[in-house]
Amino acid sequence: MTITLVLVLVGLLALAGLLVLARVRAGSTTNMESLTEQLCSVDVDAFRNLVDPGEEQYLRANLPESEFRKIQRERILAAIEYVSCAARNGSILMRVGDAARHSPDPSMAEAGEKLINTAIRLRLYSLRAMATLYLGLILPGVRISPAGIAESYEQMTRLVVLLGCFQHAPQGVAAAL
Amino acid sequence: MLLLDYLRPSLWIASHLLQATLLVLLVRRGFFRQFPIFVIYTASEVLQFVVIFIMLHSPVPVSDAQYFYTYAFFSAASASLRFGIIYEVFTHLFRDYPALSRLGRTLFRATAILLLVLAVFLARLAPAQGVGRLMVMVDVLNRSVSILQCGLLAFLFLFSGYFALSWRSYTFGIALGLGVYASLELTTSAIRSQIEPVGRNLLDGIMMATYLGCVLIWMSYLLAPERETQSPSKGLPTHDLETWNQELQRLLQK
Repeated sequence: MTITLVLVLVGLLALAGLLVLARVRAGSTTNMESLTEQLCSVDVDAFRNLVDPGEEQYLRANLPESEFRKIQRERILAAIEYVSCAARNGSILMRVGDAARHSPDPSMAEAGEKLINTAIRLRLYSLRAMATLYLGLILPGVRISPAGIAESYEQMTRLVVLLGCFQHAPQGVAAAL
Repeated sequence: MLLLDYLRPSLWIASHLLQATLLVLLVRRGFFRQFPIFVIYTASEVLQFVVIFIMLHSPVPVSDAQYFYTYAFFSAASASLRFGIIYEVFTHLFRDYPALSRLGRTLFRATAILLLVLAVFLARLAPAQGVGRLMVMVDVLNRSVSILQCGLLAFLFLFSGYFALSWRSYTFGIALGLGVYASLELTTSAIRSQIEPVGRNLLDGIMMATYLGCVLIWMSYLLAPERETQSPSKGLPTHDLETWNQELQRLLQK
């Protein structure tokens, strides 16, 4: 009987989820301006510093154990904030890239395609990084160095710049590049 | 109960008449090239309706066994085709994202295997109750199929949601209709496997109404024009400009 109740609940929850999804989709905007307004700023250098193993080692060596743990916890929480922000930007820029790849301008379409691939890579790295960071939060002894996030984010930023250039002065920038 | 006795056949006939209209529209609009399995599924549902309607109203008497095997054959075909539609939706969704295709395929298969194990485990742990071994088997099978279909669709929605993949309207409409059907089928098949035949009429009525709703969902999405993606004509962010300028300088120096 318990299993039946669980299955009934799962079925009803899935139905509710689908209806919410359909509603959200119907009300969702395809307007790029409102989409990009949701982007948040990410300081890549500060993030690099937070997850730098050398920095962590330095703090460990120079701070009392209890203080190190407290500070390390705060650093990890800040890094989590950065990663979720970068991941959120990734999903927004994915939609920007999706719109750009349907552009009649081949350069813009190509930049859009690349932006999508980089955003996907960023989302994948974010998933892995989140797991590592939360593990570091639970087990303070574990070394955290989420690879790929900063590089992907920088690459994504470059692609957005490129896209912006194509959009504002296609010929000039394309020639310059 | 009298109302239910009147409603059930009406819902059954209405949903299939609507589905026949949908089939005509799908064929006329050339959807067979894009969604062949969905079109075949729609056709098979219409055919099932025609065959069973003829059997029920035929002047030549049809035995219970004949009716049961015909119904079982079409139900099995429907369930298989619904799996095919889920795969078709999966293919359409990942076609535009080759970078994710391999990962998606691997996770999709892994999810299918996990769900299959779960369905078999649940079938052993909570066997259906009821009269007749064959009916009990059908109930357990229905429940297992619902678990698989509901789980696979949930995987598709969650995975695409995480990676912010864009759904084309038609693909979304097909998945939504199927998802609504699969989730309610899971609920009703779980209840059906535990109750006596008396309450089954009500559950059948609910499923028929749901099916009518699903056909309406499919019709509304497939007949509406595909939503256009707006090109980023002037919409790229203006804040964060300093970082962008730095990146641009770096690019130009290369």
